[in-house]
Amino acid sequence: MTAPEAPDLSTNLGGIQLRNPVLTASGTFGYGTELAPFMDLRRIGGFVAKSLTLEPRHGNPPPRIVETPAGMLNAISLENVGVQAFIEEKLPEIPEGVPVIASVFGTEIELYAEVCKRLAGAPKVVGIEVNASCPHVKSGGAEFGQDPVLLARLARAVRRATSLPLLVKLSPNVTDIAEMARVCEGEGADGISAINTLRALVVDVETRRPSLSNGLGGLSGPAIRPVALRMVWQCARAVGIPVCGIGGICTAEDAIQFLLCGAVAIQVGTANFLNPMAAVEVVEGIEGYCARHGVERVSELIGAVEFPGL
Amino acid sequence: MRATPLRVDAEVISNAAEGGASRRLVLRIAEGWPESEPGQFLMLSPGTRGRVQRYDPLLPRPMAIYRTRRMGGEAAIEVLYKVVGRGTALLADARSGDAVSLVGPLGRGFPEPAPGERALLVGGGTGIASLFELARRSSRRARVSVLLGARSAAELMGRADFESLEVELQVATDDGSDGAPGLVTDLLEREIAREGASRVYACGPTPMMRRAAEIARKAGLPCLVSLENRMACGFGVCLGCAVPRSGEGYHLVCCDGPVFEASDLSWEGLP
Repeated sequence: MTAPEAPDLSTNLGGIQLRNPVLTASGTFGYGTELAPFMDLRRIGGFVAKSLTLEPRHGNPPPRIVETPAGMLNAISLENVGVQAFIEEKLPEIPEGVPVIASVFGTEIELYAEVCKRLAGAPKVVGIEVNASCPHVKSGGAEFGQDPVLLARLARAVRRATSLPLLVKLSPNVTDIAEMARVCEGEGADGISAINTLRALVVDVETRRPSLSNGLGGLSGPAIRPVALRMVWQCARAVGIPVCGIGGICTAEDAIQFLLCGAVAIQVGTANFLNPMAAVEVVEGIEGYCARHGVERVSELIGAVEFPGL
Repeated sequence: MRATPLRVDAEVISNAAEGGASRRLVLRIAEGWPESEPGQFLMLSPGTRGRVQRYDPLLPRPMAIYRTRRMGGEAAIEVLYKVVGRGTALLADARSGDAVSLVGPLGRGFPEPAPGERALLVGGGTGIASLFELARRSSRRARVSVLLGARSAAELMGRADFESLEVELQVATDDGSDGAPGLVTDLLEREIAREGASRVYACGPTPMMRRAAEIARKAGLPCLVSLENRMACGFGVCLGCAVPRSGEGYHLVCCDGPVFEASDLSWEGLP
């Protein structure tokens, strides 16, 4: 009897070759170095860095977060160091061999495109994820992900601005997310990331005011997982480009649901806050699942969900 | 050198009422727990029992490391907390033998006073928990006066522990049931006027710390404060714990603090 081979977890996300399908989501993993004390970053597939704008941003006043059942709302307003400081100060601190996907945000299409251009040739950056969906920024963002015409213009502009593999991260705050995925595919995106946070509200009944300084926030965490899974399944059926599944993934079982529904990779987000080793534990759990089920390659799982009657 | 933080499972040794709504949680960590700085904190998941993950409440709670004792490679960490909401109410249900997961030690702690200095430590409410290790370590090299404030004698945390140290201890309670009636910051003002001081350390409710900072500033003394805030992670990625700087922009309580020079903060904007 020969010892079972370790399962092959490698996957390809729109031209980004990954050693395993477990990434971490933008805004939950900083610039990579913050979680280095807790794990060997080479154990995960890679990470999506905090969204970058052309200029640094300070973000919203407190309170910025509030807890909800199995979830949380945030209204950070994309505080970030700006693309230049990211390239000069943050990237050099990331260990070699850790793929970085840069998340890009701008209040205008031209600003998105400019950030993409600045990232050309940046070491360790293997792809760009366009944040078309941040739901809590008054000055922009929500419009791009919610309007198919605007989203098409954005996707076209960033496609022209970069030759790196290009993912568009969709907003879930739409009637038909599959239509949005098709729009991005039509403009040349290499992949779809879905989903971003759901627009949400919590009110403090003592003060009769919203619990967040911004009023509305974005809901994340396990509470949104079934909604995210449904949307990822819809996107994966609608487009030929790969889909990266995001939304409340905490465990390997959660991640495998997304793979079965057609995601070629997944991102662990809010779970990083509760457990800085969550993403590595998801990798280990997928390995264990593959071993238990005789799965030699993780690609066998992708899209393997069986829907009666479909 | 600041210790590298860990995520570990800890065993509850005891979780007893301390008076009022205050409780003392003692956690045992089998091995590898690093030396922490006075004023550092940990993130404690109140909903999780061992490996059984619960997602409601979702987020871990930041808690000051009150005291650490060592027996060989084992560490016993004490946390003083007050039951104020759902998370702390669930934490109060933890029984001896339960497993809880935690992440720490986190943040930048208090720099200790220089040898021979006179340090005034001002603690209010649960803020007292951040000051015990500072008082214990500083008392070896500096002259330490500890001023503790609470609503009432029953609400006062850690009094007996502070009495066991080589420090001068004074207490103020709102209702006069222990020590001087009134505010602990009145004691601070009196102590500075009486004997002067080298520096002030404060941890407690924001109005208390703000008042302590004003008193220190008027006396020309440096003042270090330790802030509490909502946070989701504790290690600088959720950006939920931002507080306004004295200039433009924000500090993160979790990794720029929780200890700050009072003059580096914009006190009007603090939660």
